[in-house]
Amino acid sequence: MKNETDAIQIDAIKTSNLTKRYGQKTAVDQLNLTVREGELFALLGVNGAGKTTTIRMLSCLSTPTEGKAEIYGFDVVQQKDEVKRRVGISTQDTAVAENLTVEENLRFMAGIYADERTAKGKEGVNQKVERILEIFHLGEVRRKIAKTLSGGWKRKLSIAMAIIGDPKVLYLDEPTLGLDVLARRELWKEIEALKDDMTIILTTHYMEEAEALADRIAIMIDGKIVCHGTLAQLEEMTGEKGLEKVFISVAEGKGGNHE
Amino acid sequence: MNKTLCFAKRNLIEISRDALSYIFCIAFPIVMLVVMTLVNESIPKEANMTIFRIDSLSGGIGVFGQTFVMLFTAMAVSRDRSGSFLIRMFASPMKSSNFTNGYILPMLLVAVVQWLVSFAAAVVVAKVVDYDVKPQGLLLATVVLIPSAILFIAIGLILGTLFNQNAAPGLCSVIISLGSFMGGIWFDVESSGGVLYKICKCMPFIYCTKSARAAIHLDFGTEAFLIPLLVVTSAAVVLTIIAAAVFNTKMKADLS
Ligand SMILES: Nc1ncnc2c1ncn2[C@@H]1O[C@H](COP(=O)(O)OP(=O)(O)O)[C@@H](O)[C@H]1O
Ligand SMILES: [Mg+2]
Repeated sequence: MKNETDAIQIDAIKTSNLTKRYGQKTAVDQLNLTVREGELFALLGVNGAGKTTTIRMLSCLSTPTEGKAEIYGFDVVQQKDEVKRRVGISTQDTAVAENLTVEENLRFMAGIYADERTAKGKEGVNQKVERILEIFHLGEVRRKIAKTLSGGWKRKLSIAMAIIGDPKVLYLDEPTLGLDVLARRELWKEIEALKDDMTIILTTHYMEEAEALADRIAIMIDGKIVCHGTLAQLEEMTGEKGLEKVFISVAEGKGGNHE
Repeated sequence: MNKTLCFAKRNLIEISRDALSYIFCIAFPIVMLVVMTLVNESIPKEANMTIFRIDSLSGGIGVFGQTFVMLFTAMAVSRDRSGSFLIRMFASPMKSSNFTNGYILPMLLVAVVQWLVSFAAAVVVAKVVDYDVKPQGLLLATVVLIPSAILFIAIGLILGTLFNQNAAPGLCSVIISLGSFMGGIWFDVESSGGVLYKICKCMPFIYCTKSARAAIHLDFGTEAFLIPLLVVTSAAVVLTIIAAAVFNTKMKADLS
């Protein structure tokens, strides 16, 4: 599935036969995945499909059992330091420092990444914090202690903390899980706005989320990516209309074009 | 700002928002000093017991307070380890040493502040009971107590890393009891002699109290001051290295 602009595009993420086993259980099975720079790539799958495990391996939080993965050519096992300074992550269970305010959380993260040579590395911590507060409209809660925030605000803070180090690659693990419809829509807009600056892998089990945000979608079932492509390509492959129908068709093994 | 200081600052903010900090740091040493001084006042002079006299007492309470800083450290680390924040930070460019030093530094500050509060309380108590205690000695103890503080913080770090939120405080209270008993904080182990004293001499705690008390008395004798201080400092170094190794090992295991 190559298109004509392929030649000039850089691979931000590339995995080959990436596998994770826990005892007998294969959580991620022989994953071959290429995400191009600037893409928003959605990993779509039900609970237990292996999305979080994949993200964890791609962010050095878990060591692959087999296979390999590279972020901008840096190996996630051999070149952890290089990978870590290029990667931002918002984990599924929102990880923020609970007793710090929104602003203190952002300052903390900005400080941690301050001496890493990233695109906007020269920008001072103050400017950076203000810029991020603005992007996520976090100004009104800046002095609130994180543990008192609602789910939606907390998730925004978590994502804001993930991008304050100016990552080239951003992982959003179920960013809208547990949010109400309005909070979800708002977060979509903010994620949309990040697309230009970084490569994003977003995991979700919401069809409409993948449909709304993703350039390409991979459907993950039982640790395997059973098919991937743009929505149009997936529709063509399965002969169905809409991601939900495509998903059901693939999950039931009807249109499983295991490319 | 470097990563260790960033993390230290985060930990300091967390500590400053926990009411327990103020109880341990400020209320506790004052209450202990006052209560034990009252106990001392009721002991007949003929008993010739000096352990609760303000000069000895303040040194003992300096060390006793640090056992609570140990508990505090263990609680903070085990709490972090049970949540998702620390794991998420493992994906950042922070190294294991950034984490361990970032825990040690703010706790050291807590220990010093705690001592300065005890120091001030001791001066007041000494005035009230009309006992002549040397402020220079108390001031010197501020520095002499630092290796001892690091020793207890390192133990807290080890326990907080190895055990969960329920087990770590329990194990700490065992060490608080053992430490204050063997450290000769509440009774004179040295003159009790025998097997007990031999056992105590094998543990670092007695040297913490000895060096602190010697500093308060401005006694710089080899036996009373230099050797105990050397023992405490060595033990602090060894335990800090062990704590760093344990944390590093656990962090690697978490990322397997
Ligand atoms: N640490 C672990 N130990 C054992 N099994 C695990 C572990 N982490 C994940 N799994 C298993 O791997 C599978 C994939 O999990 P996960 O990656 O969390 O899926 P998803 O994020 O798509 O819901 C599940 O069956 C889960 O039970
Ligand atoms: Mg998941």
